[in-house]
Amino acid sequence: MATVATPWEGERPRTRRQKEARRHVLIYLGLTPFLVIAVFPIFWMLITALKQESDLYRMDVVPFWFHLPPTWKNFDFLFHRTSYGDWIVNTMAIAVWVSAITLVTAVPAGYALARLRLPFAENMGIGIFMTYLVPPIILFLPLSRMVSILDLQDSYWSLVVVYPTFTIPFCTWLLMGFFKTVPFEIEEAAMLDGCGQAGALLRVVLPVSWPGLITSVIFSFTLSMQDFLYSLAFVSISDQKPVPLGVATELIRGDVYFWGSLMAGALLVGVPVAIVYNLFLDKFISGITGAAIK
Amino acid sequence: MAGLPAAGSSRSGASLSVAVGGRVGVTSWWRTPTARRFIFGYTLLAPAVLYVALLVGVPFLFSLYLALSDASVGDPVARFVGLDNFKAALENATFYVALRNSLVFTFGAAVMKGLLGTSLAFLLVQPFKGRTVVRALIVIPFTLPIAVSVLGWKWMFDSQFSVINWALSHLGLIGEFGSESWPVWLGQPGLALLSVMFVNVWRSFPFSAIVLLAGMTSVAPEIIEAAKVDGASFMQRFRMIIVPMIAPILFIGAAFDTVFTLSDLSIVYLLTNGGPDGATEILPTLAYNTGIRGGALGRGAAISLFLFPLLLPAIAILLRTLRRRQY
Amino acid sequence: MSDPHQVQSDHHSVDRRKFLKLTGTGVVGASLLTMLDARQAPAQLKGTSLRLLMWSHFVPAYDVWLDDFAKKWGETNGVKVRIDHMPHLELPARYAAEFAAGAGHDLIYFVGQILTGHYYKNLIDLSDLANGLGKKYGGWMESSKSGAQVGGTWYGVPDFFIAIPMLWRKDLFDSAGLGAPDTWEDFRKAGRILKAKGHPTGMPFSHCNDANHNWRSLMYCYGAKETDPSGQTILIDSKETREALKFAKAMYDEGMTPEVFSWDDASDNRYLASGVACWVHDAISAYRTTQDTNPKVFEHTYVLPEAKGPVARLNMGEPNVWAIWKFAKNVPAAKEFIQAIADHQKEAMEASRGYNMPFLRNQYTRPMPGLGGDPKLAALQEQDKITVFFGNPGPMTPAAQEVLTTFIIPDMFTKVARGVPVEDTVKWATGEIRRIYAKHKAS
Repeated sequence: MATVATPWEGERPRTRRQKEARRHVLIYLGLTPFLVIAVFPIFWMLITALKQESDLYRMDVVPFWFHLPPTWKNFDFLFHRTSYGDWIVNTMAIAVWVSAITLVTAVPAGYALARLRLPFAENMGIGIFMTYLVPPIILFLPLSRMVSILDLQDSYWSLVVVYPTFTIPFCTWLLMGFFKTVPFEIEEAAMLDGCGQAGALLRVVLPVSWPGLITSVIFSFTLSMQDFLYSLAFVSISDQKPVPLGVATELIRGDVYFWGSLMAGALLVGVPVAIVYNLFLDKFISGITGAAIK
Repeated sequence: MAGLPAAGSSRSGASLSVAVGGRVGVTSWWRTPTARRFIFGYTLLAPAVLYVALLVGVPFLFSLYLALSDASVGDPVARFVGLDNFKAALENATFYVALRNSLVFTFGAAVMKGLLGTSLAFLLVQPFKGRTVVRALIVIPFTLPIAVSVLGWKWMFDSQFSVINWALSHLGLIGEFGSESWPVWLGQPGLALLSVMFVNVWRSFPFSAIVLLAGMTSVAPEIIEAAKVDGASFMQRFRMIIVPMIAPILFIGAAFDTVFTLSDLSIVYLLTNGGPDGATEILPTLAYNTGIRGGALGRGAAISLFLFPLLLPAIAILLRTLRRRQY
Repeated sequence: MSDPHQVQSDHHSVDRRKFLKLTGTGVVGASLLTMLDARQAPAQLKGTSLRLLMWSHFVPAYDVWLDDFAKKWGETNGVKVRIDHMPHLELPARYAAEFAAGAGHDLIYFVGQILTGHYYKNLIDLSDLANGLGKKYGGWMESSKSGAQVGGTWYGVPDFFIAIPMLWRKDLFDSAGLGAPDTWEDFRKAGRILKAKGHPTGMPFSHCNDANHNWRSLMYCYGAKETDPSGQTILIDSKETREALKFAKAMYDEGMTPEVFSWDDASDNRYLASGVACWVHDAISAYRTTQDTNPKVFEHTYVLPEAKGPVARLNMGEPNVWAIWKFAKNVPAAKEFIQAIADHQKEAMEASRGYNMPFLRNQYTRPMPGLGGDPKLAALQEQDKITVFFGNPGPMTPAAQEVLTTFIIPDMFTKVARGVPVEDTVKWATGEIRRIYAKHKAS
């Protein structure tokens, strides 16, 4: 085909195409190490989850594939021999409630700090940030007293109450940056139309800020799944545990690791979150951007 | 941007005149727009401030008290011992090891995250086929619960069945199992710290990349083009235009990440518990093993409060960023 | 409800031994019907509930048995029982939280990390129960007392301890012309010879429980002492400690590979089960793992209660102790439960496949469940004679506990194995231990 074309007409598109192909090859080459680093552990977890126990402990064969038929046993174990179903429900419930509490508190706070030119606003902002610096290690004992006073010990609701202590500081700062990007004119116009300041916030500012809100929710979700110590201290009843705690406390028995089920348990909660994350990734990016460019 | 500050200042001017006007009194000051803005503002702020004050501030004060007392896990009646616990920490050889490791861990990981994140962002910012898929795959490490993905790494770092070693060995880069060159990821002093660091990097670099990517995409192409026309090289454009524009979020992101990394117990606790011989001991594991498992609450609290001076630089950077972000 | 049990129990007590012989671990369920006989709990327990916090036992079948036992016990006595399991390493954090909260489980359990000395002011005095059990079963092992008593009062009731014997591969030893090993020197020699043939040995030099146990056992066999018997004077700085350290270094250099620096509690199990190790020093859960996963290796795996050192043959066991919070909501039921489980020690030991070693002397009558029937394990039936606990020969005090949880002993061995001079290492360890004891004395 190339030979049929005249030199001029054939050459240029081909070089452009070649250029484009070369560029792609270079990009893919550059991306390969990153993809290997990021994805290989996930692949390895997946294959471990599907392997039979005795297939794990073999040094003589290629470990990247199955040498005994793959098995659903590890997943089956999760759902029939542990409270994994409850753990998922708890994790999701915790994440949803934590996100809700975070939004209800951090949105007004971020708005007030960013827009209302309050005296001491800067110091209060820093104060809120400082709370993020206090390590959970020294907070969990006094907090367990509070959890007990609220009668929430051994209930996942204790975590719903405690997790906002780290999501609120984070999201307040994120939203603060975001609200600064919303043009004042919009608000002004709304207030001239007879909305109060609150009305302007609710009807005008929030609707244009939803990438920021989604970003906050995503952060609340992921942050609330990163905890281990609080859940360990406050929840010991199996059917109240969130996934990370349940998996790490019930699938390791001192000198035996249930590798397959451990990995299965991690993936079953991590991958769906990754998918949701991706659905909103563009909004997430513009949410961060909004917070950044000001 | 132009409208409200002017309006605002005229309003506060009005409120001032009312206040100076004297006799109208306190009640009517509350009705001025400025006052209403303040009340509205503090009302909005109140839930968040109360929440963290109650659930972080109060427990934190209690921990300060612990650090200054000889409290043990089972003894609520503690004596005030001043700075003894801090002195005890400073007399403890392991403490210095933990402090050094904490610093190396945090800053080493930050550098690695920065390098990996930046290069990845540069790749992802270009248009190419399959970009969405790549982006989707890259963020997975960030979405997995850390306590669980660490266990996946534990299995990959296994001294005997490490898949990494299997691959390296079959590529001829290291010897057979049992040979001198067979790396024991969590067992050799330098390597162990590097390994736990790498898990932290693995988890967070996708996030750094996404934040940087967000920053890069947000810089208007016209500015970049203009700079190109002016003959700015690629690195110059990056340094002079992109970095300053996304600096605020970078600082905030880095500050939060530093705090998270410095106080994160789970990676080291689940992989090595600080071993062997303190090779991966960091302040959180030392505080946990002394204060909680060993029962000496006061000393444990003192060790974890040593994190505070370490965090001060993060706060300083944040303060500056904050000022720069003012109107 | 109680009548059928009564009938069953008559049969059971008449023919107990034969019955036990017939019921393997697989039919534990059947014996459950008959075991809730020894004692009917007081009627006032009816309608109450009881919460227990336990570790996740290393022999999972034991937890199945225990949960079932608790359920049946609860049904018999009208008590709603619930057991929560947690990995043993995380228990102290949970107890600290429960204590701070002033609420939590009624009946709690210390494994390895004995917190009796920390919490005793907030634990129920269990002297009547413990003394009663002592009287009934021939007395407590002397070394067990410091884990459950403070100042002579029982604030805990010892449940069982975990023996950590030598597990060695007879086929490999035979192939190298080595006879049945008995001393640490024998094991060192085996490591040297067999490592060359691709079968090294290993003891963990890391921050894990096994490291704390194994190196202490070696130290004690060499005559090294942590403190004097009163637990007041630190005696770690001794010739014996130095000898043990030098020996460990030689054993590492000759017979081990660097992977021992990264081991966790599960690694030596895998090392044995995968057929690599020529010997490991580990609880018999490793023996059981091998039995279940690699029958060929298992067939050649033999057990020695402990290797003999130049001074003694002493094994550091891992103690397990019951305790009851003062703020427990159901103290009577908790006490009844401890009594019930102690009265069913044989079934418990059977269910744990010989893992749960009793603290009460009369429970060493042969054949012991899970051990007596297996010629390779039969020698463990005298484990009470060689078992000591951390702090030896001193008591398990909070100071000794902190030395344990900050891994000073394993770190000392690690330093020497890595080439730090013995003198410097002993000096370092002595300093660290002094510092800890001084703090505890001050408070």
